[in-house]
Amino acid sequence: MIDVYFENLPVGHVIELGQHRVTREAIIEFATEFDPQPHHLDDEAANASILKGLSASGWHTCAIMMRMLCDGLVHRAASMGSPGIDEVRWMKPVRPDDLLTMRGEVKSARVSKSRPEMGIVDIEWSLFNEREQVALMRATGLYQVKNPEAA
Amino acid sequence: MYFEDVELGVTRQLGSYTFTEEDMIRFSLKYDPQPFHIDPVAAKNSFYGGIIASGWHVASVWMKLVIADGQRRAGNAETRKGGGVSPGFLNLRWIKPTRPGMTLHYDTTTHEKIELKSRPDLGLIRTLNLAVDDDGETVMSFTGQGFWPRRPKG
Repeated sequence: MIDVYFENLPVGHVIELGQHRVTREAIIEFATEFDPQPHHLDDEAANASILKGLSASGWHTCAIMMRMLCDGLVHRAASMGSPGIDEVRWMKPVRPDDLLTMRGEVKSARVSKSRPEMGIVDIEWSLFNEREQVALMRATGLYQVKNPEAA
Repeated sequence: MYFEDVELGVTRQLGSYTFTEEDMIRFSLKYDPQPFHIDPVAAKNSFYGGIIASGWHVASVWMKLVIADGQRRAGNAETRKGGGVSPGFLNLRWIKPTRPGMTLHYDTTTHEKIELKSRPDLGLIRTLNLAVDDDGETVMSFTGQGFWPRRPKG
């Protein structure tokens, strides 16, 4: 059921998403196709690297965040896609068996001048493992305005 | 090749990649299962009018081509010393949808060099990265960042 529209995402609104368990198989599978560097593929090489152990490709981390967004928000939102991402910070390595959660805070929300049926919402997403923040993503999302005349 | 040796304004062609519908759906089923990425019928009725690739798929292929380009050049003097570690990226823009059968051509241009006060052994290189379609129109752009080792003193 679609119950999240532009009007439901005011500035300061907080969204909690989760949980996602990272697996060794998923890290190696993604890296094999898209980012075949030794520290994403092989324990021995990873232990000798500056990241000191197997870690997910940063692009895999982004893909995981997208999946968590789909499962926790987009599937019930009147989403119109995204024009882009202002910033992603890969702060700490994402490791096998990490249990990830995500928290978003709406930073700005405005109705498109050229398309009054569309709202533009900037959300800052923080990704956490059980101990600390591991990534940050400042994303712009487009959401349908439920009542264009009132907004 | 060290941070000091990197010249700004130099563009490298990274290679091309053709997105098939099967490939696009396979990626999106795992990471971005929105109807216009995974379901041809729902996609046809969406505002995109057909299946489009996940923006993260288009971006991940950039990484794939960077690694392949690095492997082709392995051993050349222009290869970076040490591993390719990045603190993240800036200003990723999905400008045009990627549809089944489209071929994208990726390139990267050195753009900015930043010395790091906190890490005198490292510098940060920023690059402008583009994915362009057969008509020469930009489909995706972003600013990449990578740490490079500094030339040892003395």
